[in-house]
Amino acid sequence: MNDPVAFVHALKLLGAGLAMLGAIGAGIGVGLAASGGVQAMGRNPDAAGIIQTNMILGMAFAEAVAIYALAVALIIIFVG
Amino acid sequence: MSEVKPKRRFGVKRWIILALVALGIYAAFIGPSILKPISPEVSLAAENTGLHIGSLQITNTMVATLLADVILILMGVGVYRFIRSGKLVPTGFYNMFEAIFEFMWNAVEGSGGKWARRIFPIPATIFLLIFVANMVKLVPGFETIGRIEQSVSGNGYAPVKLFQVGGLEVYTIDKGQPVTLTSTSGEGTPAETTTAEEEAMCTSCVVVGFLRGSATDLNFTFALAITTVILTQVYGTWSLGPGYFSKYFPIKRLIVGGIFGLIDFVVGILEIVLEFAKILSFGFRLFGNIFAGALLLSIIGVLVAVVVPAGLYLFELFFGVIQAYVFFLLATVFISGATAGHHGEEQH
Repeated sequence: MNDPVAFVHALKLLGAGLAMLGAIGAGIGVGLAASGGVQAMGRNPDAAGIIQTNMILGMAFAEAVAIYALAVALIIIFVG
Repeated sequence: MSEVKPKRRFGVKRWIILALVALGIYAAFIGPSILKPISPEVSLAAENTGLHIGSLQITNTMVATLLADVILILMGVGVYRFIRSGKLVPTGFYNMFEAIFEFMWNAVEGSGGKWARRIFPIPATIFLLIFVANMVKLVPGFETIGRIEQSVSGNGYAPVKLFQVGGLEVYTIDKGQPVTLTSTSGEGTPAETTTAEEEAMCTSCVVVGFLRGSATDLNFTFALAITTVILTQVYGTWSLGPGYFSKYFPIKRLIVGGIFGLIDFVVGILEIVLEFAKILSFGFRLFGNIFAGALLLSIIGVLVAVVVPAGLYLFELFFGVIQAYVFFLLATVFISGATAGHHGEEQH
């Protein structure tokens, strides 16, 4: 606490860590998508192509949230 | 990394791999300090290479993108010549190219329908560019050979002269001689420089690569994202005429639809916001994945210098392909959704 520069730096690291909490939801979402996709493929292997496409699409959307969190964390650490 | 299994034949390749692992262990733990991995100096923005056209500074990501472009053009010329040669059965490289093309074509045709032929060039170009850029990025030396510069943050290492080729002096920076003010940081592996005068000024040095992965620059990813979203509008207008914009401004519904017309109008405004959100998510997804991957590789390289980075390299290879595919797939879905009409948010 005696060194304000170090204190701000520490808070930055803490903030970046907290920003990455956003990855929790994305992780759950990607896991759900994969689970559903694999189950659907197991039941109907003929439709695997379409299911895979839509699964990856859904995963990409879910993952986008984590990527936003990552971008925020990176910007907190490396910019300014 | 392959392990020794007693039942299988002990081939030459296995000895080569073991020798490389031993070399890695020597370089990281036993050998001279110039061989040791150094934690990187990370900068979010691309660094300048020192060249410039007019007032435009050429950054290292620009050079890397140009390199990827050149490789793509060479691939294109090669494939064109192969097609002109009249052979029907592709071999080797062309076989792979045909497989990629068939894969892309199936994906586009599946979602684009009768518009697939007109949509195809856009996502295919994006896929090939991102794919080649991501693959080229993983070549060793890509981000580590560059100019030595004075560290901005004040944490760097002393330069050590390796050898001289004609007028070109080659330096590396030494982990054993940290010139730091606060903590240990810097950048590793051999570095070339052309001018000795610049070198004399540098005391606390970091390496700024001549090349840096294209997708680790926000300008590259956002350029692709903005192009894609604008082309979505272009294809929508091409397919549906001016009526396409009633998706954003449902004037007719507002006049005749009563209260539901008003709701539709608000939804239309949300659609406009959604287009901008698409740009953001496109741009940050590619950038975040590739940048974080590069960061992960360099940091893991410091923590666990041997074996583990090889696995992560494989992981990065996979992610380069997956991110190219995701960008391609989303572009395809958005563009073909725009050609399909008002309810075309889903993939039909």
